[in-house]
Amino acid sequence: MAPSLTTPASRPDAPTALPGAGGPPGHPRPRRRRGSGPRHFDSAGPLAYALLAAVVLASVFPLYWTFVVASHGDNSVLGGSTPSLVPGGHLVANIRRVFDTVDFWKALGNSFAVAGTTAASNVLLSSLAGYAFAKLRFPGRDALLVVVIATVMVPTQLGIIPLYLLVTDMGLYGTLSSLIVPALVSAVGVFWMRQAMEENIPDELIESARVDGAGHLRTFLHVAWPGVRSTAAVLGMFTFMFAWNDYFWPLIALPPENGTVQIALNQLAAGYYTDYTLMLAGVVVSVLPVLALFAVLARRIVSGVMDGAVKG
Amino acid sequence: MAVDAAGAGRAPARTPGAPPRRTTRPRRGGRLVPYGFVSPFFLVFGIFGLYPLLYTFWVSLHHWDRLTGDGGFAGLDNFQDLFADPDFYTATFNTFSIFLLSTVPQLLLALAVAWLLDRRLRARTTWRALVLVPQYVSVVAVALVFSQLFGRDFGVVNWALQHLGLISEPVDWTAETWSSHLAIAFMVMWRWTGYNALIYLAAMQAVPRELYESALVDGAGRMLTFRRITLPAIRPTVLFTVVISTIGGLQLFAEPFLFDPQANAEGGTEHQFQTLTLMLYKYGFINNDAGYASAISCVLFLVIAAVAALNFLVTRRLGGGSGR
Amino acid sequence: MGTSLIRRSLAATAGLTTLLTLAGCSSGSTGTSGEITLTVATFSDFGYKPLIAQYEKTHPGIRVQERVSQLDQHHNSLSTQLSSGSGAADVVAVEEGYMPKFRQVKDKFVNLAEYGALRREEEYLPYKWAQATADDGRFVMGYGTDVGGLAICYRRDLFAQAGLPTDRDEVGKLWPTWQDYFKTGDTFTAKVKDHAWFDSAGNVFSAMMNQTEVGFFDTSDSYVADTNPDVEKFFSDTSKAAAAGQSANLVPFSQQWNAGIKQGKMATITCPAWMTGLIQTAAGEEAEGKWDIASVPGGGGNWGGSFLTVPKQGKHVKEAAELAAFLTSADSEKKIFQGPTGSLPSLTDALADPAVQDTRKAYFNDAPTGKIFAASAKDLRPSFRGSKDQQVRVPFANALQLVEQRKASPDEAWRRALADAAKNLAH
Repeated sequence: MAPSLTTPASRPDAPTALPGAGGPPGHPRPRRRRGSGPRHFDSAGPLAYALLAAVVLASVFPLYWTFVVASHGDNSVLGGSTPSLVPGGHLVANIRRVFDTVDFWKALGNSFAVAGTTAASNVLLSSLAGYAFAKLRFPGRDALLVVVIATVMVPTQLGIIPLYLLVTDMGLYGTLSSLIVPALVSAVGVFWMRQAMEENIPDELIESARVDGAGHLRTFLHVAWPGVRSTAAVLGMFTFMFAWNDYFWPLIALPPENGTVQIALNQLAAGYYTDYTLMLAGVVVSVLPVLALFAVLARRIVSGVMDGAVKG
Repeated sequence: MAVDAAGAGRAPARTPGAPPRRTTRPRRGGRLVPYGFVSPFFLVFGIFGLYPLLYTFWVSLHHWDRLTGDGGFAGLDNFQDLFADPDFYTATFNTFSIFLLSTVPQLLLALAVAWLLDRRLRARTTWRALVLVPQYVSVVAVALVFSQLFGRDFGVVNWALQHLGLISEPVDWTAETWSSHLAIAFMVMWRWTGYNALIYLAAMQAVPRELYESALVDGAGRMLTFRRITLPAIRPTVLFTVVISTIGGLQLFAEPFLFDPQANAEGGTEHQFQTLTLMLYKYGFINNDAGYASAISCVLFLVIAAVAALNFLVTRRLGGGSGR
Repeated sequence: MGTSLIRRSLAATAGLTTLLTLAGCSSGSTGTSGEITLTVATFSDFGYKPLIAQYEKTHPGIRVQERVSQLDQHHNSLSTQLSSGSGAADVVAVEEGYMPKFRQVKDKFVNLAEYGALRREEEYLPYKWAQATADDGRFVMGYGTDVGGLAICYRRDLFAQAGLPTDRDEVGKLWPTWQDYFKTGDTFTAKVKDHAWFDSAGNVFSAMMNQTEVGFFDTSDSYVADTNPDVEKFFSDTSKAAAAGQSANLVPFSQQWNAGIKQGKMATITCPAWMTGLIQTAAGEEAEGKWDIASVPGGGGNWGGSFLTVPKQGKHVKEAAELAAFLTSADSEKKIFQGPTGSLPSLTDALADPAVQDTRKAYFNDAPTGKIFAASAKDLRPSFRGSKDQQVRVPFANALQLVEQRKASPDEAWRRALADAAKNLAH
């Protein structure tokens, strides 16, 4: 699936909380309909809690089950007549075996390098282009913008065979560059950042900066960028996740021993004899860092996803 | 308003402290700077997006072995063979079937979850975060885990269904069209429902509360307000999620690829869950027939373009309210 | 929301990224201290761990890394790596069935004759040597690692339950031909419910195909499966047996297959030497002594076995060639046979060596695996492989599964296999 193609919320960066402070418990946003008298349509009854609990259970159970299998000594945990739901004591040993079997550190490093670089470059290049499209006048601008918008929906994945031939010709096959370079900047990002610039940066601000003699780059850095930082962060997050999860292209462009986390995971499932405790321990290893990050940044991510949504 | 000219022209007078070179630079380089800002995108897209797409068409007109290269002009041979290949129609059917099976229930469920979340909840952020958890599990991990859960002999799903008395014999999930489509659709659903729910939730929260209040005064029940007020208000968002799901759903690869224990891109014994992208991978990267695979690409491209154009038109018409 | 939090995390990501990229770039195949790292790519456990440890000890300055993939993926990525000129391991295993395909691009491989391979011709079983050479033997593309040999592994307890003999010699006498094997299967399934006769029709079919000299392709590499009566007969016999309920319907090497072995769902498995290791791992300790090994119907045969090749693109081809020679030496192959994987040597001397001949497997009721497999490997008529053998194999295996899944009759499955194979040959 593609990262969200939606436009950012038209919310100028709200007054920000102190750095590092996750905000007070409760909702970070000021606009809220809380506490203004009893409104029964708005309250959550036991049934709502029960249904939500069921949804959460369904969301979390497969992960719990993975953890259970990954913590058992051998495949027999899968062969029983009743599925085992009690964790065993072999999780650490199995994770150690994961690192012995495939070079998971390297895979993690590769994934971080690819996802981190593409996220950073997407944020930078999309912001620059978005700034130009939203705030600068130049001949051909509107036509070029139409091209950007038209390409948002183009499934470039379908050019995969020539892309493979191209990357091979350029000598990039098997290198991380084969993943990074084609993904340096995307139409979605450019479009997205243009919207953010358009909505959050008043033209007068730009003008007065220019009047004050600031060059393009300076105006961008000191006037435009601060206003779209939070949208940029969301874009960076989505790009990171998308690159981290990509499987199709790394499967083609990278040899297994220089793969990303996804390829390494697949390696664990390879061989005549598939060791499921090992494979699912690999899943645990691949999911844990992301989930840990998620736990720390949950509030930020949730609001990022929600801000990324189109508002009706 | 010519930003460049105005800025450069007035600058010296307004900021006497600025170094002199700053006054001239915007004027001379200024004209090209905007192009410099937008050029990376056009460069990257041109080389790695557009060129491969156009080249795909060229390759599809040739006998082209991935390893040995161009083997001569083939005209429309590849397309002719493709359209004569029953597998192609199977794959097209599978693609749409899995797409619909995963998208429709997913979006409906997401609506329901959003609806549940759109009320005063204790520990609200925690609920939201928990619903989003599956999104953080990679596609490969999801496919590996769910392939086990949907195992024929020892899968948890079969076990549960048998204990609930819904089935008497274990289902061989990979063997049948319906069962494999269901299992794959389930993986997609599991991963994306929470994400879409949060997007709907965001849209729902933008609905003015006063609307609900007046509806309540009129004695409208919860379901009615949802149908009459919430749903119309968030329709543009719903349409947008449909568009996104379409583009991703029609290119489904990892789930069906890894669902097959042999991972040979056959998509089951009768190709019952071979999607078009899976077929593209098989011919392009296993059989190494780049020409034939490119023909599949071209057709898939047209399919997606048609559906996306349709979506786009609909979104534009109905979603005009969202501006932009 | 803390904007500086974002800035800090962006900065941290950027920093981390740079670091990791640098780390990634420096981890090439040559370390700073002049140490050489050689990679060995195989598609299942070849039993190389102890040998590699030994090699690293005797060759200071050389480190050896193993990487293991799934059979088809392994060979697919090798194709890609050869065509793109980078990414291949220093020593790469090629399965016998894939050998003809890669022999077509032999220029991408080191001619091991340049590193003294010709001296080793005498050591090898003649057909094994021939499979890896070209240009009238002047080009040596790989060193044979193992041959499969062929036998039948069977469950003594289930045979007893069916009133069949359990002694391995008597069991072998039950099935001089495959017809007899399937007939015994009928007897078995009539008497023992809940247990199948064999694991997978695909495995039985593979075994039969591996006993015939001309299979899918004739010796001039033309596709003949649609006219070769042998292929049709093998397919028909196995698919009919499957339709009659003799198959446990387990996709070979899948989780279900592994679990099925653990639960003893089948009475027999066609058994090349390398299969014994897989069965032992899958069945686990509690099945020790329940399995035994008898001779295969239709006389000897070979299924599988591989070669170690050295792609030219490697940076250390000389060292890689030496390593490949070491891993396929008589001494190494003997050790591997006695180890857990149980792969059978492809060297005449090693096969005749008392260390191999006298090897017995305690797990398989102390079966004299040395004698059984060595005999089958020597008797066999090598089966010819076409350059597109693998592309054709899949449709036939799929068609047999269709019968097992009760989705097609044997006749329908046969027609489907032919149609799909033709398609795979065309594109």
